[in-house]
Amino acid sequence: MNAITIKNLRKEYKDIVAVDDLNLEIEEGELFSLLGVNGAGKTTTIKMLSTLTKPTSGDAYIYDYSINKDPDKIKEIVDISMQETAVARKLTVEENIDFYAKLSGQKEEEIENIKKYIYSSFELDKVSSKQASKLSGGWQRKLSIALALVTKPKVLFLDEPTLGLDVIARRELWKTIRELKKNMTIILTTHYMEEAEALSDRIGIMKDGKLLFVGTKEELFVKTNKTSVEDAFISIVSGGELDE
Amino acid sequence: MNSSLSRILILTKRNLKEIVRDPLSLIFTIAFPLFMEILFYLIFHDLTTQFEMKYLAPGIVVFSEAFLSLFTGLLIAIDRNTSFLTRLYVSKAKSYEFILSYAISIVPIAFLQSILFFLVGGIIEPTIFSFNMILAILMSIITSLFFIAVGILFGSICSEKSIGGVSSIVIAGQSVLSGMWFPIEGLSEGFITFMKILPFKNATMIIQNTLNGINDSFNDFVLPLLIVLAYTVVLFVVAIIVFRNKMKSK
Repeated sequence: MNAITIKNLRKEYKDIVAVDDLNLEIEEGELFSLLGVNGAGKTTTIKMLSTLTKPTSGDAYIYDYSINKDPDKIKEIVDISMQETAVARKLTVEENIDFYAKLSGQKEEEIENIKKYIYSSFELDKVSSKQASKLSGGWQRKLSIALALVTKPKVLFLDEPTLGLDVIARRELWKTIRELKKNMTIILTTHYMEEAEALSDRIGIMKDGKLLFVGTKEELFVKTNKTSVEDAFISIVSGGELDE
Repeated sequence: MNSSLSRILILTKRNLKEIVRDPLSLIFTIAFPLFMEILFYLIFHDLTTQFEMKYLAPGIVVFSEAFLSLFTGLLIAIDRNTSFLTRLYVSKAKSYEFILSYAISIVPIAFLQSILFFLVGGIIEPTIFSFNMILAILMSIITSLFFIAVGILFGSICSEKSIGGVSSIVIAGQSVLSGMWFPIEGLSEGFITFMKILPFKNATMIIQNTLNGINDSFNDFVLPLLIVLAYTVVLFVVAIIVFRNKMKSK
């Protein structure tokens, strides 16, 4: 069953085509990584899929709901963790979770359950009474991602989730993302090739709004005759010009 | 409870916590104006009627409200720049719910400021305690809406770094153009007219005249109130349009 079906999705900003007639299907439970250099259209794509931006033309379906016709229905089943850490800075970790849960209309009992789930998944119980602004960058990012789970989404968009984190914090987040993958479909954008290699079921490579490749990493290696995602990515994006 | 109303209350509670937990906001909205109220009274009240508490306390109330522009704007600018608001847009919350929540969360602070500065003023000069003081406190909520609207507009336009500089224009405007810190009698007629067209002096007049009684109800109260309300309504409409457009473009 497809969690996401994208049909000729296009986004133009004045004379720039950010996403150029994208077609893609992502299965339920899959972790799909979108790779691309800056300006490739990754973030615009997930903003359209999460209903934050309207497409210029085309459509996409999250399960049976159209991003054009049913944005409110989609909001009930998706959530997003942005590139930037997006938390309420002066609220404690627990208050942040309460705030998001109440805003999404959850009842007290549900909130307690979601807190337990988040605390165990992200180990945030260690810092639950601390104000978000007083947490380290790694903990803030963890909280930011954790908040996207408060709404219990069926589809989770992670836009550069480990951007700016140190190696240890990044590895810890990978571990958490692998756990999350068991319960939901995840679409992840990243600049870190090793991240895509470690986490993804399939990889999509975008350039100038177009999807140049979709497949597993093994298929990527065969197509480019490379043995790492980084080399294969460079080969595809540069058209082979930067091959070593 | 209506889900929209419920979301507004949840957002309001969060906004209020964000502001009151910032020590700087408490210093500038409470401590600094309070210091000015006491200091200026002690130094000048024997020298000029301008600094008698019946004029000084209302002036300080409106002066302190000017700082609300800064803190409203700062909160919105930070929320925008950190993608906090973008993320909330994936929830069902709407633009007008965000704006209402920002506005509503600041009003209790304005209300408390007003009570505090009038109470302190009354302790220093008990003659200002009267039923009119209660009316003046209530009117200060209306004048605070002007500064809140300014804050929402600035917060929708400016970055976190530039909001301080831009908001200082309003604070300076309230200081210089309200006529509360110096007698305006010696100023040119043109400048006095300019002050009367802008909302700062009118906002101060509303509170001063409510406290001290009104001789000419139209010129002393109705006209200043209409001017302040006109600025407030226009600014709110512009702020809502700018806020929505900014969020859409983001």
